[in-house]
Amino acid sequence: MSEHETIRELLSLAAAGALDAADEQRVGRHLRGCAACTAEFEQLQGLANSLRRLPTPQPPAPLLERTRARVEWRLAEEAENRWNHRVLVFLILFAWTLTLASWPVVRLMSSGLLGWFDPGFGRTWLSLAVYTALLWLTGGVAAATLALRRRRERRIA
Amino acid sequence: MPWESPVGLDAEVAQLRRGDLDALAGLLARYQNRLYRYLLRLVRDPATAEDLFQQTWLRVAERIRQFDSRRSFDAWLFAVARNLAIDHLRRSAPESLDEETPSGATAAAELRSAEPPAIETVLARERAGRLAAAMTDLPVIYRDVLTLRFEEEMKLEEIAVVLEAPLSTVKTRLRRSLDTLRRMLETRYPGEDWR
Repeated sequence: MSEHETIRELLSLAAAGALDAADEQRVGRHLRGCAACTAEFEQLQGLANSLRRLPTPQPPAPLLERTRARVEWRLAEEAENRWNHRVLVFLILFAWTLTLASWPVVRLMSSGLLGWFDPGFGRTWLSLAVYTALLWLTGGVAAATLALRRRRERRIA
Repeated sequence: MPWESPVGLDAEVAQLRRGDLDALAGLLARYQNRLYRYLLRLVRDPATAEDLFQQTWLRVAERIRQFDSRRSFDAWLFAVARNLAIDHLRRSAPESLDEETPSGATAAAELRSAEPPAIETVLARERAGRLAAAMTDLPVIYRDVLTLRFEEEMKLEEIAVVLEAPLSTVKTRLRRSLDTLRRMLETRYPGEDWR
């Protein structure tokens, strides 16, 4: 490829200001002696300048407000989800602590009664399992009821 | 590589990272015209550009903690917008992102304004309309690089970040897009002098 053809390949990038210093000097030297390349370069440069001056389309006025409201809503929703998650983890830990801590008390208070009826609850592990299941069932029903109520409230809002 | 940021931009980005929504209002105002213009150049439809504008800021708010503050926020923001726009174009026109379309009406309509009709203004507007219409008909990868370089005036390195492409690819696309645009204009308006 001749020097002239090589330089022609570089003219678009030169017009876009995207050449390194060495290539820029090389193109500059060639343009001083080549009328055809100079004319082509000026056309490309004019085109580049016209692109820079293209009118900027304006976004509709309410777009900013709508965007801000949408983002705020989403961030609030995420913050609420994070809070709910933390509360859930805390409640689970609290419930386990309560269950385990209250078990000796329950056992102490009910051992006489359970022993009198003796319906098979005498074995410690079975009693603990039933007690835990009842507690968690109660907690689960309460949580589901609250969640349904909250969802209804949010739908109305 | 550290990037130079406009005054106040770093502070607004840092505030947004802390969850301060007042900073979001500042950033929205700062980038509204540029981001909307970029999205409109990519998708060519104002309603879609508006929707993508909102999605971009949602994504920014969600992922701002992942942004490396040593990098250019402009490049990061435009990369987020570009990914959303490209995803949209893939879904709406899955046949090819490079395919040319015949319509230039949308961009031309965007150029209408209520300025006084002085002869220079009319001529300049006509010329800008022709250029915008020709640009609209370019493949999206060419519109993308042209608007980033000439309208956003981004450095090549920033464009490479937005396009997630090497610098050599950016240069090749830039050269091809300018050559293609010039040929298109020469075919449509023979003899028109763009100098």
